[in-house]
Amino acid sequence: MGSEEPRTNFLRKFVEFYQTHEIAKPLIPLLLLIAASVALAPHYFLAPMNIKVILMQTTPLALIATGEMLAILMAGIDLSVGSTQAATAMLAAIITKSTGNLGLAVAVAIALGTLVGAINGTLVTKLKIYSFVATLAGLVIWRSFVIIVSGGRLIYGLSEYSVFLNDYGTYIPMGFLLALAVIIGVYLLMTKTTFGRYIYGIGSNEEAVRLAGVRADLVKFLAFTLAGALYGLGGVMLIAMGGFAVDPWSAQGNELNAIASCVIGGIALTGGTGHPLGPLLGAAILTILTNILVLLGVTELATQQIFVGIVLIAAAASLTRGLRYVK
Amino acid sequence: MEIGRGSSTTALSPQITEKDQVLLLAKDIVKKFPGVVAVNHVTYDLKAGEIHGLLGQNGAGKSTLLKVLYGIHRPDHGELYVYGRKVFFKSPRDAREHGIILVHQEVTLMPHLTALENIALLGFMWRKWGARFKKTKFKLYIEDILSKFGIELDLDAKVRDLSVAEKMLVQVATALSMDARILLLDEPTSPMSPKEVERLFDAMKRLKARNLGIAFVTHRVNEALEICDRITVLRNGFKVGTVESRNIDAHELVKMMLGREASEVYMVRDFSDIDKVLARTREEVPLIELRNIVTKPQSPVEVPLKNVSVKVYRGEIVAVFGLVGAGKTELGKTLIGLTKVVSGEIRYMERRVKIKSPADALRLGIMYLPEDRRSEGLIPGFTVVANMDISSLKEYTKWFMVIDRRKEEAAGNDMVKKLNIVTPSLYVKVPKLSGGNQQKVLVARAMLTKARLVIFDEPTIGIDVGAKAEIRRLIYRYSREQGVSVLLLTSEVDEALGLADRIYVMRDGRILGEFINKNLDRDTVLKVLVYGK
Ligand SMILES: Nc1ncnc2c1ncn2[C@@H]1O[C@H](COP(=O)(O)OP(=O)(O)O)[C@@H](O)[C@H]1O
Ligand SMILES: [Mg+2]
Repeated sequence: MGSEEPRTNFLRKFVEFYQTHEIAKPLIPLLLLIAASVALAPHYFLAPMNIKVILMQTTPLALIATGEMLAILMAGIDLSVGSTQAATAMLAAIITKSTGNLGLAVAVAIALGTLVGAINGTLVTKLKIYSFVATLAGLVIWRSFVIIVSGGRLIYGLSEYSVFLNDYGTYIPMGFLLALAVIIGVYLLMTKTTFGRYIYGIGSNEEAVRLAGVRADLVKFLAFTLAGALYGLGGVMLIAMGGFAVDPWSAQGNELNAIASCVIGGIALTGGTGHPLGPLLGAAILTILTNILVLLGVTELATQQIFVGIVLIAAAASLTRGLRYVK
Repeated sequence: MEIGRGSSTTALSPQITEKDQVLLLAKDIVKKFPGVVAVNHVTYDLKAGEIHGLLGQNGAGKSTLLKVLYGIHRPDHGELYVYGRKVFFKSPRDAREHGIILVHQEVTLMPHLTALENIALLGFMWRKWGARFKKTKFKLYIEDILSKFGIELDLDAKVRDLSVAEKMLVQVATALSMDARILLLDEPTSPMSPKEVERLFDAMKRLKARNLGIAFVTHRVNEALEICDRITVLRNGFKVGTVESRNIDAHELVKMMLGREASEVYMVRDFSDIDKVLARTREEVPLIELRNIVTKPQSPVEVPLKNVSVKVYRGEIVAVFGLVGAGKTELGKTLIGLTKVVSGEIRYMERRVKIKSPADALRLGIMYLPEDRRSEGLIPGFTVVANMDISSLKEYTKWFMVIDRRKEEAAGNDMVKKLNIVTPSLYVKVPKLSGGNQQKVLVARAMLTKARLVIFDEPTIGIDVGAKAEIRRLIYRYSREQGVSVLLLTSEVDEALGLADRIYVMRDGRILGEFINKNLDRDTVLKVLVYGK
């Protein structure tokens, strides 16, 4: 009896933490996954090189997932992610090849991403096209853009991008730190500023936010634009983390990975709820899951995807618990 | 497969119903929601061959009562009898099996299917999964029913192409095809034109002649008088009474509907300062003026404004009084740019202005608090304090866009104290509060904006009596102390009389009269509402 007390107390605190902190939704599964991975394959999983690989693979996904989050928090969706990421990567690759100027290439990539986001935002707010449809159009158009500007060819040997892999002996690549800084910036924007407040409000009850006199269209436009900029940076990281090469079909389907990261990260598709760092953790979960499957010998992509799907279902179900029905 | 009755439906309903047999009896029903008792010890019965109206203002509890009868809500107290037998409905399925069908306020059909398909799938084919869809046979069957009841419908038309009345008739036909004996119609006429209403009433009369019982919900007095045999009037969840339509006139019914509040609940002002306020209407230019506004509705439920002219002066409380459907909300929304104005003008301090959005309006210092708190007012994912300062968030920033939490909290605490808001903390989500306190949060939202004109659309609907009085007092004090103008849109005559300096009476999108609220007689106002002049 007496020894039961502290334990139930701990359990209660744990449940309370889980219920009151939105970050707990992805954080606890992430910790469990890491613990399981360590238990299953301690020598491989904890090998410094493996940790570096995980961080590398998480980087581009975390960036695009954080962009996707902005759309989903407003109860919208962005399907243009993969194509935008490829377009920005391809443009950066071409500029790097022709000028050798990495700084310029990165700036142009982010600018292109921003432009794509601004177009998405305009379509949604001015032409009142559902974000699903507007960005679906973007998905096909920007993929075609990639194929046209690349002439259908692979660009490789972009060794300039190795700066993003430097780790100065820490096994933490610079690119990851850069992405982390940007994502923390987005986190601050979402939690500390009026802009973030309005985004959450739009996702929770857009009609009320509009009637309250907020310029919701401006907020939406800016959110889509910012998302685009993140995809642009995600495109750059795609080159750095993906073997210094871009082919016309790279990043294909990444919108789904981004959405999955958001859902696993606790960002409800109904909008308005979720912790801004959730997508980062969601991306890490997806990456570690694939990583540990490989270490366990599940190397076939199709089999891996089945596991990813199962995790997605579990995450989605936990997000909608308590709702009467969903669509 | 047998069609219609026969197989699974209406096992309990006898084949023949005699006129005046009591089909349905709801005894002493209570239904509570957080912070409000929506139906409060109401008894209601329905006889065969009768149309029994349910009349009441918005939030009176009409829809909730019907939902109890249809098994959507389970009552907290009270009993249901069908054909004299006591029943418990766990879901609408149970109600349907007893021959009860609810036709919703919002049309619930599948727009891309034909009328026939809708009637079959939602009606007699209901729950018969995997059965074959025998089009010709079904069509004959339904045509037979329709002709029996004298209802004309094009069964092959897609539902989306039908008029509102026809859609309603499709829903009625659905019920008939299931051999329903009890029809619950929730405000079917609200989106209809007068012609369409006639058509529906014709059909209802025929159903009545065939001994069906119809519960007919409306907020329109004249309709109730025209079609109903008996009328039960609800108000704030209570039953005011049940009357025979032939023994009552519109004036009396309106009085029942509006009820009479205890004067301490509504009389929140004193009249010592009224001359000072009214003097401004002679000495100053109006803060805001609508001149001959005509609007074009953007949806079937929107009431068009017909040549509406209204003035509001500095620091004045102006009430626009009218029943549901008078166009008060549309008047309010015109001032925040949400209606389509086809002619007329809006003037702000005599200067002509174009208001295109609520954000535009707010820049002029005009703030609108919606009637429908839950869908248009509150942001459910937000905390109490975030709901309060959403309209004035820029005032609580440190630099650029960074919110100053301390300043925000101070403002929130100040409002909680001033408005006496009962909440465990500023940081709970707003749905946790009771209706009255939620409304106070919205009032706080307006106060924090430092607006010059606040439009309150039915600020006391759906909240308990104590909170009503409190909110009225708050509005009065706020206006007087801050010199803010208030435009009060209300369907409660007492609220207008107890609060306003001037009162406009509105009906069908028109202003019928204007009164100075000084020695003003309640009946004078009501007469204008009922009879025009
Ligand atoms: N699902 C619900 N949850 C909470 N409150 C509700 C709900 N449905 C209705 N109410 C409240 O119950 C009261 C009566 O509502 P309703 O029956 O819809 O009125 P009416 O149909 O007469 O306009 C209102 O105060 C309304 O806000
Ligand atoms: Mg209703």
